[in-house]
Amino acid sequence: MLRVVKPKNARSKRVMLAREPQEVEQAKTCIFVKGSTTGERLNGVMRDLMALKRPNAISFSKKNTVHPFESTDSFTFWGQKNDAPLFLVGTHSKKRPHDLTFIRMYDSRVLELCELGVDAYVPMSDFSGRKPPPGHRPLMLFDSPLFDTHPRFQQVRSLLLDLFNGEQIDAITLAGLEHVVQVSVGPPPPGFTNESDAELPVVHVRCYSMRFLASGQRIPRVELEQIGPSLDLSLRRHQAPDEDMWRAATRKRKMEKKDVEKGLGRKRKNVGVDDAGDMVGRIHLGKQDLGKLQGRKVRALKEERGPKRRKVDEE
Amino acid sequence: MDVSDLLQVGASKQKSIQVEKEIPLDIDIGYLTATDPNPINEDEYKNDREEYLQSIARDNAQLLINHLFSLPITSSPDGPLAKLPAPTTILPRAKPLPKPKPPTKWEKFASAKGIQKQRREKKIWDEEKQEFRDRWGRGGKNKELEEQWLVEVPTNADADHDPVKDARDAKRKRVAKNEAQQLKNIQRAERSNASADLPIPAKEREKRKTELDRDLAQTRVSTASMGKFDKKFEGEPKLRGVKRKFDPNEKSADAEKASALAILSKLDTSSRPSKRARAAEDGDNVLNVRKAIRHEKRTGGPPGRDSKARSGKDSKGRSRKGR
Repeated sequence: MLRVVKPKNARSKRVMLAREPQEVEQAKTCIFVKGSTTGERLNGVMRDLMALKRPNAISFSKKNTVHPFESTDSFTFWGQKNDAPLFLVGTHSKKRPHDLTFIRMYDSRVLELCELGVDAYVPMSDFSGRKPPPGHRPLMLFDSPLFDTHPRFQQVRSLLLDLFNGEQIDAITLAGLEHVVQVSVGPPPPGFTNESDAELPVVHVRCYSMRFLASGQRIPRVELEQIGPSLDLSLRRHQAPDEDMWRAATRKRKMEKKDVEKGLGRKRKNVGVDDAGDMVGRIHLGKQDLGKLQGRKVRALKEERGPKRRKVDEE
Repeated sequence: MDVSDLLQVGASKQKSIQVEKEIPLDIDIGYLTATDPNPINEDEYKNDREEYLQSIARDNAQLLINHLFSLPITSSPDGPLAKLPAPTTILPRAKPLPKPKPPTKWEKFASAKGIQKQRREKKIWDEEKQEFRDRWGRGGKNKELEEQWLVEVPTNADADHDPVKDARDAKRKRVAKNEAQQLKNIQRAERSNASADLPIPAKEREKRKTELDRDLAQTRVSTASMGKFDKKFEGEPKLRGVKRKFDPNEKSADAEKASALAILSKLDTSSRPSKRARAAEDGDNVLNVRKAIRHEKRTGGPPGRDSKARSGKDSKGRSRKGR
């Protein structure tokens, strides 16, 4: 017989229901795990990133002997216990100093790993700018063509996007736009391709607060001020996602009926976009009745009329 | 000073919201994200990195804001609300998509029988009191017998017969039965989910396990006494034979029709091609190789040419029967 876990009270039932798979998922919770040795730099990085990720962040501030690339058992367990699919692990060793590892899970199993080395770090407290209150969504900028082409940088982009902006929302209050997270890549060495073994360029993460100035138009002028943390990251080891698992994880939900009726999901016939970016539609009309077409009025073509009608006075 | 001059002065102080980019940004407004495909300017980067990065960030943020403000905007108590389209970037989910809940045993039965679900009203008409009463709950109709101040006792009842207790026990029994059925439904649902979720190696292990069980069962009855006088181990399960299985009494009309038609199609042999005709259809299997070799050994000639061979006798004229 299978053991059936039945909630004992309404509260635990609500929790169980909330943890069941949802069609549209909430923001992913991230656990910040401190390794057995972390320096001041890593502690600061984790603290600042957590400040940006709040309220969907959990801190594991005690020392944990974890080695993500050797064993992921603890992460599977923690992920299940805390219902968290993201991990940021800080470890420091002689071989890999100031090591920050991203772990992304799917269905309580490890999907992918990405290890980054923190080369330089300026904490949030060193900047005077207005810090964003927790729960605000940043604008995210990825400033490099490599984020579209290079698999390693694509992974970094996907992970950072998932960390800060992974939730799908319908609408956003424009007054609540507070800060910007910029991720850029240093200039690649000459002759750099996807296959080349050359050292990967550095990734810069910068955070700015936004100020809206009047521009004389409806859209405001944007001014930025750095608020930190600013990180320079180098790419180290990584583990790409298993193909089957990735396919399962990116499976899309079936379109709702009302969405399909709106014309989403299916190719819309006779509607396209022209070069100017305008929507162009093609309308099919019925067959034209040429019999009713008005030609030249010639007496010979006039229809035969009966005897001339006489005007009848009804009065 | 003229008003137009004042306006001009004001306008000149305001900075532009226009941004020029060689390659337009790749904007995924659903995730409030932009990817800039323009390569980095190495000189400016080396000259003053922070300044340069900030200038790029400002330009791109401006473009993103321009895009955001051009979305359909509605007002809300917290200020203007921009409606976002669905994101285009694919991010993996944290958990698999929810599966539809498997039907309960009753739901299966009801769908097979075509029983429509009917909404049960909470109120029920009380003929005696001439009013609507709750079906269950405080003062509910289902507690009628328990809450009666006077109950008729049958003549052959025991001395300690308690009609109220009887009624209450019967109700509790019904509740317990319903709970057990619920639990079974949950278990059934979990079992069907679990078997669908098993990865391939686990499925193979399951298969191997059943094979082993079968082999073990076979060895147990493979002694001279068919296992009757063998030493039994402690906790050894009793051998169970194959249980006969019958179709369920309730069955959908389609399934019943399909099974009946399957039997009928077996009966109607005239329409089916014969074995030889079917063999002739596949071009490769025209010659029955095994048969040909056997014939060759016995007669020393190809089949079908030797009339004697066809008549069932070998070259010496003896019947092949009984050899």
